Amino acid sequence: MKKRRLAWIGAIAATAIALTGCSGGGGSEGEGEGGTLTYLEPQTWITLYPPAGGFYPNGGVLNQITDRLLYQNPETLELEPWIAEELPEVNEDATEYTFTLREGVTYSDGTPLDAENVVKNFDLFGKGDPDRALPVSEAINNYDHGEVVDERTVKFFFNDSSPGFAQAVSTINSGLVSNDTLDRTSEEFGPGNAADIIGSGPFVVADEEIGSELNLTTREDYDWAPPSREHQGAAQIDGVDFVVAGEASVRVGTVTSGQADIARTIPAPDEGQFEADGLELVAAATNGVNNGLNLRFGHPLLQDIKVRQAIIAGVDRQEIIDTLFTDSYPLATGVLAKTALGYTDTSSAYEYDPDRANELLDEAGWETGSDGIREKDGERLVLTFNEALPQPRSKEVVTLIQEQLAKVGIGVEIFPGDQVAQDEAQRSLDTIQVFHSMVGRADFDVLKSQYFSGNRNALVNLNPDTDEIFDQELDDQLAEIASVPTTEEREAASAAAQKRLTDQAYVLPLFEEPQVYGLRSEVQGFMTESIGRPSFYEVTLGQ
Amino acid sequence: MTPLALLRRVGQAVLVLFLAYTAAYILLAALPGDAIMARYGAPELGLTNEQIAEIRASYGVDRPLVLRYLDSIWAFVRGDFGYSVQSGAKVSDLLAESLPSSLTLAAVALVGSVFLAVVIAFTASYGKGVWLRRLFRNIPPFFISLPVFWVGIMLIQVVSFQLGLIPVIGASEVESLVLPALTLMVPIAAPLAQVFLRSIDEVREQPFVAVAKARGASTSWLLWRNVAPNALLPVMTMAGLLFGELIGGAIVTEAVFGRTGVGNLTAQAVANRDTPVLLAVVVIATVMFVTINLIVDLLYPVLDARLRQRSGGGSGSAVPVIATAAEAGPTAADTGATATQAGPHIGPHTGPHNEGGPR
Repeated sequence: MKKRRLAWIGAIAATAIALTGCSGGGGSEGEGEGGTLTYLEPQTWITLYPPAGGFYPNGGVLNQITDRLLYQNPETLELEPWIAEELPEVNEDATEYTFTLREGVTYSDGTPLDAENVVKNFDLFGKGDPDRALPVSEAINNYDHGEVVDERTVKFFFNDSSPGFAQAVSTINSGLVSNDTLDRTSEEFGPGNAADIIGSGPFVVADEEIGSELNLTTREDYDWAPPSREHQGAAQIDGVDFVVAGEASVRVGTVTSGQADIARTIPAPDEGQFEADGLELVAAATNGVNNGLNLRFGHPLLQDIKVRQAIIAGVDRQEIIDTLFTDSYPLATGVLAKTALGYTDTSSAYEYDPDRANELLDEAGWETGSDGIREKDGERLVLTFNEALPQPRSKEVVTLIQEQLAKVGIGVEIFPGDQVAQDEAQRSLDTIQVFHSMVGRADFDVLKSQYFSGNRNALVNLNPDTDEIFDQELDDQLAEIASVPTTEEREAASAAAQKRLTDQAYVLPLFEEPQVYGLRSEVQGFMTESIGRPSFYEVTLGQ
Repeated sequence: MTPLALLRRVGQAVLVLFLAYTAAYILLAALPGDAIMARYGAPELGLTNEQIAEIRASYGVDRPLVLRYLDSIWAFVRGDFGYSVQSGAKVSDLLAESLPSSLTLAAVALVGSVFLAVVIAFTASYGKGVWLRRLFRNIPPFFISLPVFWVGIMLIQVVSFQLGLIPVIGASEVESLVLPALTLMVPIAAPLAQVFLRSIDEVREQPFVAVAKARGASTSWLLWRNVAPNALLPVMTMAGLLFGELIGGAIVTEAVFGRTGVGNLTAQAVANRDTPVLLAVVVIATVMFVTINLIVDLLYPVLDARLRQRSGGGSGSAVPVIATAAEAGPTAADTGATATQAGPHIGPHTGPHNEGGPR
């Protein structure tokens, strides 16, 4: 008995040494011959249903495995041919679009990408299917139906003008997938099914480890890149390993130590590390609605324009950029980013002037209470902000604003909770009065996406409790952006809506939000699409 | 343990399981938002409230809570864990994919921490030089104060990024175990070492040790033959309890290291309010917790002759002290009380079968 016990303790020790100590030395690289790119994502993807691809981890995958009818040049934001041989023929009021498809395009399962398939794609994306819990695409408006004209020609019909459709077919939300893939349910587009999502893109999902890894391999017979792209034919690397690394310090360290090639979302404070030799930083513009605060004017506390103006005058945006961010985050000069379509400069409306803020609040009848927070008729001027979890340093931004606004007597509370709680809370005027957010989309429609009552409704212009619209004029202007047929008219509608958002002090844009990637200099040819999602098609790994 | 007592223990276990499940169900239901909101409520999908309500109805989550609760209980009884709302994958598939990796990590970490705890406790008790003993005595409180999260990141920074010994990305099976296991060992080894140390201290005060010493036993003889075996029981109890720590630590560790595993699965299910996955995790964790503590209980008589003799004789009621000792483990486990309560009861009284030094 005693001997056995001794042996037992010895065995534990030996096993422990064997298990924990043995592999300390042999740090084999574990990589192939080179050629496979390692890409680090902060979050795991949720769905590969293209219309729901807005979440960056989803879009990052979809952009590699799907092609689109048109290609939006990320530099000029012009639309160019891709799977469609040329730009579509559009009738005068933009209710009919005709596309001619390129010949010989196939999906990775061998099925052809033909007219019938394209119609099937857009009939689903344009209308959704509630029975399978598949939502309609946010980018497609007024969709009625599609028609096969002949094997290579498709025609789409709309109930009303849909001028944004051409751009919509260029986004990852319109990534084309095979017929079988289109028959899947919402769950069957989710994790665990990645290898069965069949696109015609330059990469194919080969393997998946739910929640931690996704392996893409190059499709050797790929031969239908957008004609304007420098490289044609199959991608030059062997594949891409998507690895989820939630911890920012791990992502940064893995790239700087050379264990991975590229990482998305480099926090501003870590950008300095990429100034070293052999490393680079890419800050890709997202070309949409800037990162900013949406003042929900339907709430009793914010109904007075003076209060809204006071909030805008009381926030020192430059201090936010200087203390929390870097040069990658340019100060916003309007509701939209400078590079966005329809951009109007409204920077003069956001000047920091605390004296003016105090004056405005005095005029509005808010008096400073005992604790420094203003009061009127027994009510305290305290507003709840959300924490925009996907946006960089949102909590720090709001905390800084809390300090700044306290100086003029406005109280700020931050709504705590995870993404689900935030998503739920942001729909209600009672819970969130100031909504911190942004949207990237390189079309005039982006303004509508963010503010229209039937879309994201970021200002809660449509009160969900009463179905009442607080500012009908704004809603009409936004609707117009997506329903007037010509570019000139859309530009004018967009400018008018921006003017209203600014004049009424509904929005305080903070900065132009980029997608910041950190990469090793060996990675050549890395590009992003029009709103900053990665494209690995042209990447080479030089030594 | 008599069959009746065993049956009672199993009944207790089922009750614990049921309560844990119900508590988890109620807590999850009480949170704002649910899995449907997690999947379809994101503003970038731009769905209106009506569209979300439609989807909600198609999943049947608009029915009363009690009905859904009863449904889910019935499904569990039939062994049906359901489908993950987030991914649509079968929960049993998700668990099958992540359990082995987690169990490997937990086993390696547990074995490693027992070893580490033994080294710390022995060195602190019998190490050469007062300074060394003092140093090692301070290791457990120091370890306890280190957050798992921080330890993980520091290990990655130093071992992987600075020294380049083990890659974080593309590591082999074994390599990818080392750093997470080391990380997990810290919070587990610390309380183990502390309990072991304390119980060595107590056993050393026992008269039989003095007797053994008087008869000429060397330090190492005393240590291995007299002190260590007698100090082991409370450590066993503690090790059973530490399983909870193991689960909590694994969640953080797997998230930091991006490992596939139940911890990571849990972290993501929490973030996405994936109720079916979370409930399954709660049930599995509870089953393991209860089982491990049951094993620890059953092991007491094996390790301790005195316990074996009396409870083996079936006259448990005649010896009230033993009844409490055997009960102490599970009770402490169920209520979350500290194991040290159980420790001292058993430790100091275990002299008889160990008497006698070298002859």
